[in-house]
Amino acid sequence: MTVTRSSGPKVNWTILGVGLLVVGSLVAILGSGFGNDPHAIPDTRTGTVALPWRMVDLDGKSWSLEELKGRPVVLNFWSTWCGPCKYEHPLLLQAAKATPDVVFLGVIYSDDPQAVRRYLQKAGTAYPHLVDDNGRVAIDYGVTGVPETYFIDKSGTIAHKEAGPVNPQLLREMLDRIRR
Amino acid sequence: MTLLLTLFLAVGLSPVAPALAAAPGGADPMSQDDPGVIPGVPPGTPPPAEQVGPIAIAIGSKIRCPVCQGLSVADSSSPAAVQMQRRIRDLVAAGYGEDEIIDFFVERYGEFLLLEPTRDARNLLVWVGPGLAVGLGLALALRTMFAWRKAPDDVPLPSDLGQAAKDKYEQRLLAELED
Repeated sequence: MTVTRSSGPKVNWTILGVGLLVVGSLVAILGSGFGNDPHAIPDTRTGTVALPWRMVDLDGKSWSLEELKGRPVVLNFWSTWCGPCKYEHPLLLQAAKATPDVVFLGVIYSDDPQAVRRYLQKAGTAYPHLVDDNGRVAIDYGVTGVPETYFIDKSGTIAHKEAGPVNPQLLREMLDRIRR
Repeated sequence: MTLLLTLFLAVGLSPVAPALAAAPGGADPMSQDDPGVIPGVPPGTPPPAEQVGPIAIAIGSKIRCPVCQGLSVADSSSPAAVQMQRRIRDLVAAGYGEDEIIDFFVERYGEFLLLEPTRDARNLLVWVGPGLAVGLGLALALRTMFAWRKAPDDVPLPSDLGQAAKDKYEQRLLAELED
């Protein structure tokens, strides 16, 4: 017996085309977001000239970026209530001692200077720690949390911003870059 | 007592006074160390003191707290948000407008900080997309509904079939039954 197959349902190419376009666009938009950390905050400061600041350290000495012009600077925002800050502290101490031509500066973020003094007495320090009144400098640098470390080269440009604790490899690479 | 008062007034009115009142480190209040100054942008006329707080909160409610989940700096009590809200207040009190203050923060943190995306070409899809999707869906639904309504008219009833078609159908049916 001969079986005649029907040609099947008619395809509406207009609806199919529009559907594919809409679904394809959505998949493309959503797909482009895969692999991105949804909590990551975009870094707008790297590559820009570091904004000038003036702060006082725990000993009352005044510091300004203007006075450090021509020298590489590592600006580390931190606080005593931040665990990762304490984790990276020995590494920064070691690096500061090993590279005396680089100006290491800690910037105290939302913390009591007395608590910082007590912590530094125990943990030790090798560089000044500056008091950022009302977080003015932190806002100028787009700091969103601690620790955050800014590597500023000799020309005063932010070569890199590290959100989170620094690691030895990154620290070595960045110090090499800003010392050139 | 008079001597003390004279001394107090002399110090208070002397040019040294602003330096003493300045931020630690001797920052000039009118320099970029002043939290109420956006470098390179002149402030306008400051609003009345009683309006500074509400204006600052209105602006803060449009700026995302960078360390929170979907909260504005006006709604968050995190250290970063509190500092940012304080800065907004300083800038409002100095006479800066909403656009200038928002630009100040966007320049430092990026456009991600805006709770409401800007209405420019790059964000066109965000603004137009939902309306477009609803419109397309509605059009598709209406089209399908009209197609359903028309369907009975389009399908020929058995009584409407010609004799030739009926015969062909009967022949095929009988042939299949015989098999």
